[in-house]
Amino acid sequence: MVSSPALSVRSAHIVLDGHVVAENLSLEFPGGRTTCLLGRSGVGKTSLLRHLAGLLPGTAPAGPVAYMAQRDLLLPWLSVLDNVRLGHRLRGDAAARHAAGPRARALLAEVGLGHHLDALPQTLSGGMRQRAALARTLCEDRQIVLMDEPFGHLDAVTRFDLQDLAARLLRGRTVVMVTHDPLEALRLGHEIRILSGTPFVPGPVIAPSGAVPRDPADPELLALQARLIGELRTGG
Amino acid sequence: MSARFIAPVLMGIFMLVLWEGLVRAMAIPPYILPGPILVAKTLVSDWGTLWPALVVTLTITLQALLAAVLVGGALALLFSLSRWIELSLFPYAIILQVTPIVAIAPLIIAWVDDVDVSLLICAWLVAFFPILSNTVLGLRSVDRNLLDLFELYGASRWRTLLELRLPAALPYFLGGLRISGGLALIGAVVAEFVAGSGGRASGLAYRILESGYQLKIPRMFAALVLISAAGIAIYLLLSLISHLLLRRWHESALGEER
Repeated sequence: MVSSPALSVRSAHIVLDGHVVAENLSLEFPGGRTTCLLGRSGVGKTSLLRHLAGLLPGTAPAGPVAYMAQRDLLLPWLSVLDNVRLGHRLRGDAAARHAAGPRARALLAEVGLGHHLDALPQTLSGGMRQRAALARTLCEDRQIVLMDEPFGHLDAVTRFDLQDLAARLLRGRTVVMVTHDPLEALRLGHEIRILSGTPFVPGPVIAPSGAVPRDPADPELLALQARLIGELRTGG
Repeated sequence: MSARFIAPVLMGIFMLVLWEGLVRAMAIPPYILPGPILVAKTLVSDWGTLWPALVVTLTITLQALLAAVLVGGALALLFSLSRWIELSLFPYAIILQVTPIVAIAPLIIAWVDDVDVSLLICAWLVAFFPILSNTVLGLRSVDRNLLDLFELYGASRWRTLLELRLPAALPYFLGGLRISGGLALIGAVVAEFVAGSGGRASGLAYRILESGYQLKIPRMFAALVLISAAGIAIYLLLSLISHLLLRRWHESALGEER
């Protein structure tokens, strides 16, 4: 696989509805690795992701990026398959759309939705919809993937399954994942940064050992989780 | 299904029996209040005059509804594309909507030579606003996050309109259409009343006026029954269209199956 580029933010000012979210912010996200941004609700995690994606006024995307939001954002009138190849459909190139078919099918099989290609999102469970959203994000085949609490509202077991799946499928890409769940950050992140304060300041890099997805029963992980929760409580 | 269907039908039969019973018991003359049986008989015996009149009224109603869909839909699209056009035109759409049609119908009928066209304009004026305002609301209520997603996917403005805004606005448009269907009929009838008092129309409202002058009250009631039935039929037809278009994915159509 082509090595994915690093992503960096240099002296950025992020303003949302007149509130300064971040001032003179500089951050590095190493290429081909997953960086988890951890912070309490409202600290500005999503604003930072939107800044990286070029969705805030006056910003441009860092390059071609794929974006996965908190909600699945599947179009209710399109089948699962058509939702997954939505990007190709929207760029209006018939040839690219046809080429995207096999890729979309393969990805859907990989996330366990191979038998639901023609189903409408309405008929799927929350976990299945989020799997479809993950497949759609990957179908874009971008080296940089931005994820905003992608598994935030799933039940614990489904979330675990999807974390494993995501860790496998995102290997080798530059991923920035925002989460408020310390355990999720510890399972998936090669690097973890805690964002705290108003305007927020990123904490030092925390790099747990071991390959992702990490075993949640690992004592080192549990100790780190306790530390992260402590930092989040005092830093908020 | 059963209670929902049987309850109103039983209630209707009860009211009709009560009506007929009161008319007979109190010996009310038919030129004051005809009983339902007499109305039904008149409906059958005067079908030759009433049916062509119904066709005239329904034709105007459906043409007005079609025009309302075309103009209301096109204006809504225009508004969603340009904030300036919306800001300049929307207040006038509201003025048209709040001006009572009875008050301006005589003017329109006086200005336009062709009676049918003037009736059409009146009915259209009443019918187009719900479609316009609902469709504008629908086009504007598109999920902000989905718009972001489309932007990230590099979708053109045209694609976003076609693949996101229009499908998302469809339920709103259909809701407006159902309201407009009834309003188009009311607009057509009101305009016919105004035109009819000048003796220049041939629809159901004109038959009602004429029956009133001639004291043929049972025929007047029969015409009223036809107008109500036409209104209910239009509503049911539009509801069916709406259900067929949305049944696969929209909450409003899925609600009962869960």
